[in-house]
Amino acid sequence: MSPEQLLGSVEFPEDDVVVADFEAGVGTLTRLGEEHVDTVVIVVEATPKSLEVGVRAAGLASERTVARIVVVANRIRHDQDLETVKAAFPGIEVVGVPHDPKIVEADRKGVAPIDLDPDAPAVRALIGLASTLMPSAN
Amino acid sequence: MRLAFVGKGGAGKSAISGTFARVLARQGDKVLAIDSDPLPGLAFSLGLAIDHTPPIPDDAVVERKEGEEGPRWRLNPDVDPFEAVERWSVEAPDGVRFLQFGKILGDPKNLWRSQMAFRFVINQLPAGRWNVVGDLPGGTRQAFTGWGTWANTIVIVVEPTAKSLLSGRRLARMADLDPENPKRILAVASKVREEGDVEMIAKGTGLEVVASVPWDEELAEAERRQLAPIDFAPGSPAVLAVASLVERLSEEKVS
Amino acid sequence: MKLAVVGKGGSGKTTTSSVIARTLARSGKAVVALDCDSNPNLGISLGVGDEETERLVSMRQALDEGEEEHANNWDTLISRYGSDGPDGVRLAVVSRIDNPEPG
Repeated sequence: MSPEQLLGSVEFPEDDVVVADFEAGVGTLTRLGEEHVDTVVIVVEATPKSLEVGVRAAGLASERTVARIVVVANRIRHDQDLETVKAAFPGIEVVGVPHDPKIVEADRKGVAPIDLDPDAPAVRALIGLASTLMPSAN
Repeated sequence: MRLAFVGKGGAGKSAISGTFARVLARQGDKVLAIDSDPLPGLAFSLGLAIDHTPPIPDDAVVERKEGEEGPRWRLNPDVDPFEAVERWSVEAPDGVRFLQFGKILGDPKNLWRSQMAFRFVINQLPAGRWNVVGDLPGGTRQAFTGWGTWANTIVIVVEPTAKSLLSGRRLARMADLDPENPKRILAVASKVREEGDVEMIAKGTGLEVVASVPWDEELAEAERRQLAPIDFAPGSPAVLAVASLVERLSEEKVS
Repeated sequence: MKLAVVGKGGSGKTTTSSVIARTLARSGKAVVALDCDSNPNLGISLGVGDEETERLVSMRQALDEGEEEHANNWDTLISRYGSDGPDGVRLAVVSRIDNPEPG
């Protein structure tokens, strides 16, 4: 059974929130269907390859699901980066996350960014995003 | 040489393997560069625009007939792997031949035969004609599940991060699982920023680190512009580091 | 609520997933983090450490060997493949590490 099928077929308790971190390839989106997810978060950087994957993912997601789609524009260094990403996803919600040395440090050390520094700019941006994902969250 | 570059996504495999192929070709060696990622990557690092490469035709792969024995799919007997490469590869700068998967423009399901043909052609290519430099997609899905059979040397590209080290260890273990196809396993440190990064990577993977490619803003810029690092920034520290790797492996006569 | 996080390798999707999971857990939600990547690393970003992350994967591998997937029940799934992480996030590795499809 593929992870996507599992997500669709397993009975999760209604109040649970499931965050599924998926394979980077396009194969994933072709296997996710309407019944599988409520929200698709597409993470991209302002580079051609990353955007290409993201745009294809967004296309497949809007074709196959009625899920809410949110794009995370990651490692933003200049306003232009964010504009580049927004231009690639017209009509889709785009949240910018700045390039952040604290994330680099967390990666290097192998610790959770939220533990290393919950106030780091990138972490704050992601926390902000999380709070918009649950309509009922405070 | 038959080198497959593997590693966690984002480590810099395409930039490094593409530059490696160009440098090797400039030495006068015949080089076939291959890209088995359904999404584009190596072409740009070689200095090619991806539009130039059509997929291998579906009829290169045939199905087993009723009553026939053997695997369900195989390369069409009319297709000679050498000729297949000549016909379906394109020429990149410095005379590098480049063969890639059909890139997914529409439904990925339509390309599976072409992709299977690609795998057969590469795995059945007799040694000797070309040095083969392959860029495998990030992660472990392809690395040792039949997509890297053609290689004699596995080059694991590792960044100085815990996740990349874990991926590197994982890939190294997987490479070791196939006793019929023993391979040399090497590591290349990528995006190196600090003293001690190389040692961290050597210790964290248990592998021999044969090159240290520094974090290089120019490499990142080349990628953003979809240009080959060797064309955009020929004198950059990262490109020079890859050139040293070519020199080192050539001297060792690594197969 | 089911949320899928996707993106090109190296783009930051695992970091993104981990902060989302931890944040929602801190806000009082019961959060399950599923690592569906064939190269699973989510444990590290969540904060369980690389040793536990590796242990989880090899546990998954061991259970896989020769066994068909029948886990339809959530608790069974988590008890077979999962682990408790910080903020009460429950982590499970659900990918097959040896899938030979191109991608």
